[in-house]
Amino acid sequence: MAAAEASPSGVEFSQVTKRFVSPTGAVMTAIRDVNLSVKPGEFCAVVGPTGCGKSTTLTLAAGLDRPSAGIVRVSGLPVEGITKRASFVFQTDALLPWKPVLANVALGPMFRGQPRKKSLDMARAWLKTVGLSGFEHHYPHQLSGGMRKRAALAAALINEPVLLLMDEPFSALDVQTRAIMSNELLAVWEKLKPTVLFVTHDLEEAIGLADKVAVITAGPGTVKAIFEVDLPRPRGAVQDIRFQPRFLELYRQIWEALREEVSRAYSRVTSAGPDEGAAA
Amino acid sequence: MNAEASAPAAASDAGSLAAQARARARRRKVQVRAAQAATVIVILGAWEILSRVGVIDPFFFGSPLGIVLRLADWAVNGTAYGSLWLQIWVTIEESVLGFLVGVALGVACGVTLGEIPFLADVFAPFIKAVNALPRIVLGSIFIMWLGLGLTSKVMLAAVLVFFVVFFNAFQGVRSVDRNFVANARILGATRLQVVAHVVLPSAMTWIIASLHVALGLAIIGAIVGEFLGAQHGLGLVIATAQNTFDANGVFAAMLVIGVLAVSAEAAMEVLERRLLAWRPPLAGDSNVKGI
Repeated sequence: MAAAEASPSGVEFSQVTKRFVSPTGAVMTAIRDVNLSVKPGEFCAVVGPTGCGKSTTLTLAAGLDRPSAGIVRVSGLPVEGITKRASFVFQTDALLPWKPVLANVALGPMFRGQPRKKSLDMARAWLKTVGLSGFEHHYPHQLSGGMRKRAALAAALINEPVLLLMDEPFSALDVQTRAIMSNELLAVWEKLKPTVLFVTHDLEEAIGLADKVAVITAGPGTVKAIFEVDLPRPRGAVQDIRFQPRFLELYRQIWEALREEVSRAYSRVTSAGPDEGAAA
Repeated sequence: MNAEASAPAAASDAGSLAAQARARARRRKVQVRAAQAATVIVILGAWEILSRVGVIDPFFFGSPLGIVLRLADWAVNGTAYGSLWLQIWVTIEESVLGFLVGVALGVACGVTLGEIPFLADVFAPFIKAVNALPRIVLGSIFIMWLGLGLTSKVMLAAVLVFFVVFFNAFQGVRSVDRNFVANARILGATRLQVVAHVVLPSAMTWIIASLHVALGLAIIGAIVGEFLGAQHGLGLVIATAQNTFDANGVFAAMLVIGVLAVSAEAAMEVLERRLLAWRPPLAGDSNVKGI
């Protein structure tokens, strides 16, 4: 529908490596030789053990940071500066605590030069979409975790991004709220069809939401395997889809790939090998 | 359904509990106020009596009644430099102007240096050097440069205020949540928009924390400036009283300054509440405020 007019915005990582230099001068490789291609309108989940550099892929796609080697392309163009028409949803929502919800959601259009009145009207409409009518003048701290997430989602979607980057957006929510938010995210996604890069460590969430799941190795992260999720769309409630045989089969396959990485990452943390991550 | 049935009972219970708590809080408030009044009466009474019977020398230590009489005399007949109100007004004017100038410059420089690390690195040693100087001595320079009028006191107050506000603004800018900045940039904010919508409001908590101290320093700056050389102001009144060994005069001017400082502090608190209205109530607040 509305998605047709948006310019296609696939994301492509080719041979992307990102190293960080710590203040002490040690070099840490976050991701190494990442190859990943997400088609326009595709929902791609990225799973991997803690500290494998999943979030780094998002900051590179957003243009917040530059790769040390390789190229990240959005809509076919190499990322330079902040990626246009992208939005980011953070794990801890980035709602400004000193602005009421309405002003927070209106930031996107305001930053892009829309008049104040129009921005606020757009924000009001979006708050209605995410079910927060009546909470326009509440401050973020006066909302529950789920409501804050809805507001953050509205703030991210108001710019009608063609690329939506989500960094463990629901991990701070309780299980029930999380299921509800997943369903709502799918509903909005099916309407607007942005390309989604969704980082999570929760495999169920990844399979329930995504078209495609990329498994990242323990740090330095690289793509270990990519699984197509051929569950039919629309998915319906994510809490029900978990019982389908195909879901369980996919879960088993992907977990097989993930398990090894998780235990590798875990043993590294517990045995505290300091130079392993810094190698290469 | 069940909850509905028991609701009225629970409500009245909660209501009477709340009423009890309020009554207790009120009683306590009255007790505290009474004890405070008693403390003042005992101290002033002892002072008055002891100075009358000659245990303490009223020439050096004054007496409460003497202070009140001196104040009344100033109010009716004026001080050596014109009416008392003029002296108060001059000191207020100097403090407030110095405060405003110092805060504006402190915030501007703190935010600029906080946002541009290169500048911060360049200026760090100079700022530390000037900050290490006892800045009161600048008062003499300012009076030489700017004369005995208003400007020299405003400058001294502003310099005192500047550093406190500057350091807090700088620290506040440095401790802005990086996610907020990243998010604003992705949403399309320009650098100035990031400063206006994210950095400045976030640093505001830090800046406001410095304003209480800064306000006190502004008054100190104005008064010390008047000590050093002035034509009007409460500092000058004190200096004159000191030179004529008029203990009552010193205390009387002190009293006026105290009232000024307390009112300024109260105004500051109102401003703080307005600017930080967005903040969640602190955990401790709920049991401090009775009503």
